[in-house]
Amino acid sequence: MSFIPGHPVTAVVQRIEIHKLRDGDNLILGFSIGGGIDQDPGQNPFSEDKTDKGIYVTRVSKGGPAEVAGLRMGDKIMQVNGWDMTMVTHDQARKKLTKKNEDVVRLLVTRKSLETVVRQSMMQH
Amino acid sequence: MNKTAKSTCDSDRQSKKVKTSHGSTQGTQGQKADVKGCAAGKDACSPGPERSSESSHTMQKRSQKEAKSTRSDSPSSQQHLMKTSPAEDEKGFYFFQKCKHWNEPHSLGDADLYRDEDEIQKELQDKQQTESVAAGEAQSSVSAAEDLQTYSQREWKGNTTKSLLIRKGYETIASEFKLRRVRGDNYCALRATLFQVLSQSKQLPAWLRDSDIREWPKETQSDQDFIKEWKFPFETSKSKVRHLEQCLERLKQRWEESVQCRSLEQRERLCQEVFRVHDEEYELLEALKFLMLRTAIHLHSDMEKGSDVPEFCWLLFARDSSRCPKTFFTNHLRHVGFSGGLEQVEMCLLGYSLQQTMQVVRLYKCETEEFIIYYPNDHKKDWPTLCLLTEDDRHYNVLVSQNSSKFDEYGRPKWNLPSDGQPSKTTRL
Repeated sequence: MSFIPGHPVTAVVQRIEIHKLRDGDNLILGFSIGGGIDQDPGQNPFSEDKTDKGIYVTRVSKGGPAEVAGLRMGDKIMQVNGWDMTMVTHDQARKKLTKKNEDVVRLLVTRKSLETVVRQSMMQH
Repeated sequence: MNKTAKSTCDSDRQSKKVKTSHGSTQGTQGQKADVKGCAAGKDACSPGPERSSESSHTMQKRSQKEAKSTRSDSPSSQQHLMKTSPAEDEKGFYFFQKCKHWNEPHSLGDADLYRDEDEIQKELQDKQQTESVAAGEAQSSVSAAEDLQTYSQREWKGNTTKSLLIRKGYETIASEFKLRRVRGDNYCALRATLFQVLSQSKQLPAWLRDSDIREWPKETQSDQDFIKEWKFPFETSKSKVRHLEQCLERLKQRWEESVQCRSLEQRERLCQEVFRVHDEEYELLEALKFLMLRTAIHLHSDMEKGSDVPEFCWLLFARDSSRCPKTFFTNHLRHVGFSGGLEQVEMCLLGYSLQQTMQVVRLYKCETEEFIIYYPNDHKKDWPTLCLLTEDDRHYNVLVSQNSSKFDEYGRPKWNLPSDGQPSKTTRL
C-alpha cells in the first residue's frame, strides 16, 4: 500500500546547485524536463496527481552536472534561481534553465520520500 | 518471537474479538445463506443486489445449480449442497446474533424507492444470467478481475451509514487494486489465500523447500492421535493420513509450478486449472488446514516449554473452546470449510504456517486504525505479502495490485499513453 488514509504523504525538499558544463558553444546541464501548463499532465509517470502540470525531471544523464549536483529523475522543479516553475509553459521552463549568461542554476525541487521511491522500484519485481 | 509491549493493544483488541465471536466460528457462513433466503421475502430489504455477499451467494447458488446439472453424482456436487444447508452443530441463538444485515434497510436509496418491483427483479435476473453465462463458460471459484468502484457502487446502493462507510473504503483503495471475487463459502479465507499464493509466489518458502512435507501427517499422527477425525469434503478410499499426504504433495507440486511460471498468462492458466471447484482444489485447501494444525501443535508445545511464541498464540489457546491443539482441532479447525470460517486469530495462524503476511483491507473498519491489518504483523519485512479484502471479517475476496509501478522491468520510466495521440514534450538541457 502506498498510502494509509489520514497519514500525510512525505515529501523531501532539496536545493540543487547545478554547475553547467561548457561544451563548445553549448552549456550542458545533463538532464531533461517534461511537463508545463501547456502540456498533457496525464502522461507524466512521476506525478501523484495526474492533473499536476508542473515541470518534472524525466531523465538525468549519467555523470552529468545534474546528477553530480544531486538531481534525480522524477524530481519536480519548483523554482529556478528564484523563478517559480509551477505555473509555466514547457518553453518558459526551458528558457529559465538555459540562460547563456548563467553558469550556475539553483533549483528548488521536491521529491517523494526516498522510501516510497525505493519501494516502488522494488514493486515491479 | 518476542512479545513486545507495542502489541499489547492489538492483543486486547483481538482478544475482545475472539471472546465475543468465538461461538460464531460454527456456521456463520452457512447462516448467511439462510438469512439471504429469508430476507428476499421481506419488503424492506428489497431483492435488489445491495451487498457483496449477494453476488457471492449468487455465485454459490449458481455453482450449486451448475453442479447439479453437470455432475449429478460426483462427491463435490453433494458438497455444494452440504455447504448451503443449515450448519451442523449450530446453536440456534447465534443465528440472530450474527445476522449482520437483518435489520439493515439496504436499498432505501432514492433509486429503488421509485423503481418498479418488476424492474428490480429484471435487473437481478439479468445479473444472474450474465453471471451464469460466465460460469457456464468456465466454472471458477475465483472470478476475473473487476474494478472496485464499479463493484462497490453496484453492491452498496443506498445511503445508510454502513453503505457510505463501505463505499468509502472501496474508494480509498480503488486506484491501488482490482477485485477478484472468491466463492462465498466457508473455505473463502483459505481459498483467497491459496489463490494469492499461487498467483504471486516468486519462491518457495523455507519450510516447503527444506523439508519433505509428505512425512508430516505420519509424524503428527504418531504424536497426537486425532488425524483419524479429519473431515474431508470429498470421499476417500485411502486412510486419512495417506490422503493428507497426497494433499500436501499436491500443494508442493502446485506451489513449485507457480514459482516456475514465466509470465502472467502462465500463472493465470495455472490458477484457472486449480480453482475450478474440483477435488484438487479441496485437497489443496485441506493441506492448508493441516499445515495450520501442525503449526498450532508446535506453537502450543513451545508455549508449554516456556519458549517465546508469537503474540497470537496466547489468544489462539485462550479460548475456552480451544485450550490445546486437540480441542482447537475438534472444535474449530475440523469444521473450517464446512460450518465455519477462520477467525482473525486463525488468520494469523494461517499466515504464520505458510510464512506469508496477509495484508487484509477491512472495509467496515474504514477510517479507523484497523482498516488495514496484518496477519501476522511481525514479519511484514521478511515474508511475502498477500493482499485480501473483507467487508466484515467473514467473507474474503482477493485484491490484485494495479500495475501502478512507474518503471518497467528494466527500470525505465513508463510513460502513460497520451490522451490525444500527441506525446508530451521533453527537452534535453
